[in-house]
Amino acid sequence: MLNRRDFIQTLVRGSILAGLTLLTGALVYRSRKGGCESGFACGSCPKSDGCNLAEAKAFRQTVWQLDPAKCIQCGRCATNCVMSPSAVKCFHVYAMCGYCDLCGGYFKPETKDLTTAAEHQLCPTNAIKRKFVEDPFFEYSIDKPLCIGCGKCVKGCGAFGNGSLQLQIDHHLCQNCNECSIARSCPSEAFSRVPAGKPYLLKSFGKELLPDKKTTSG
Amino acid sequence: MKQRIIIGIALLLLLVVIGFMVWDFFLSRPEGAANPYAYDLSELKKSDTALNRYEEALQFTPGLEEIHGIAVDPAGRIFVAGKNGVKVFDDSGKLLRKFKFDGYADCITLGLFGNILLGMGDHVEIYSAEGKLLEKWKPANSESVITSIAATGLFVFVADAGAKVVYRYDHSGKLFNRIGEKDPENRIPGFIIPSPYFDVCIGKKGELWVANTGRHELEQFSPDGRLVTSWGVASMAIEGFAGCCNPSHFAILADGSFVTAEKGIERVKIYSPGGVLKCVVATPEQFEEGTKGLDLAVDPKGRLLVLDPVRNQVRIFVEKLKKK
Repeated sequence: MLNRRDFIQTLVRGSILAGLTLLTGALVYRSRKGGCESGFACGSCPKSDGCNLAEAKAFRQTVWQLDPAKCIQCGRCATNCVMSPSAVKCFHVYAMCGYCDLCGGYFKPETKDLTTAAEHQLCPTNAIKRKFVEDPFFEYSIDKPLCIGCGKCVKGCGAFGNGSLQLQIDHHLCQNCNECSIARSCPSEAFSRVPAGKPYLLKSFGKELLPDKKTTSG
Repeated sequence: MKQRIIIGIALLLLLVVIGFMVWDFFLSRPEGAANPYAYDLSELKKSDTALNRYEEALQFTPGLEEIHGIAVDPAGRIFVAGKNGVKVFDDSGKLLRKFKFDGYADCITLGLFGNILLGMGDHVEIYSAEGKLLEKWKPANSESVITSIAATGLFVFVADAGAKVVYRYDHSGKLFNRIGEKDPENRIPGFIIPSPYFDVCIGKKGELWVANTGRHELEQFSPDGRLVTSWGVASMAIEGFAGCCNPSHFAILADGSFVTAEKGIERVKIYSPGGVLKCVVATPEQFEEGTKGLDLAVDPKGRLLVLDPVRNQVRIFVEKLKKK
């Protein structure tokens, strides 16, 4: 008959054993992968800054970025970044956009008066500015300090327009955390490490519209 | 023995718990968390079912990649253009013939003697009914993006989204004039074409209609480029055209009514010759979200052919009463 003390002892021993087994497995896995003995991936390794392994060097020469083609505008870029407001901002690809008066990324649906009044605007922080060019053209720009990276305008632009409003990590603000907290929660796995020399992934007119063609702008 | 079993089960449970925690910490991705900035488009896509007077009677897969253009000849044969080829089907979707070429056809129409006119990016190519290349017209503009072609017995009208004009050619490729070109001196504002959706059609009296998509209007022009009339309203409501660049495509029925296709709120509707909404042919629920480029054609039986590039199908809609 196993008494309570024996049972707890056995349980603790069992837990330690299971833990050690997992740790050993992780170490074996890491050592097979590239000679690292820390047992951590570079993204979460406390020694990655001074590490001389090729894997760590490559990691240091890359930065986080999100792929607009995978982004589903879930709103987590606004809420999960360690920066406040988020280091993810809306970017406007001018080469794609006709600067239409009826911009689906600027106005709320069914807005009757196409004015700059706050109640007509889709952006919750009034971060999109527009300047009249000629009827019906307006030039749009993003007020970066106001933009919280919620992606609401990106969704509107993609649904009704050319998709010229896109979310990107602003590398003037990003802390390039070892483990990006937005990347961890991104449901569409849109975040990845990209070369530091080419840190943005803005897309222009895709081949899905007109194969091998240049962009048209208004 | 019994103790060992209990310990074994306890250890197993412990491992399960540890495994769950590992998954929860490192592998799981939160699903379904409320988005405080959600932009719900579903309400915009609902429409009054009483307006829906058409139903899908048939659909078939043409077996081409990147289908962009559809046309129907007077005998009801269906021509579908896509990447590297054109296929011809009878009215039930049975393949009759096909021919190949190198490149992407963005639009198609039928010309004299059964010739097939294709918009190939920046220029027009003309093939015989058997698929022999007859002519290759030079690009009219270095910025040309040919999105639509329409032909009468005398002229060929070519819509160029890059230059934002419609060219009027004869069937030999001689350019007569540019229609809708921006001319501030004569107060002609020009077409507003923010993206490569710029359709042209020939009306029942042989008149030219152009989709001025940035203004959400269909405009009629005389052959010499004079604006005759226009209709259309910008609105998210069912009566209007919403967002950027709609109607993306249109076709004209035998009675002069207009069939229109939209992107953003994916739908197909019919308007009277005067531009009053008559009914809905297909609602957003009938398309994949984000579908763009629904080219349209009308066959001699009055059936509406919708080219769905996302489902890669030719979808044929008929009036409910007619079917019964």
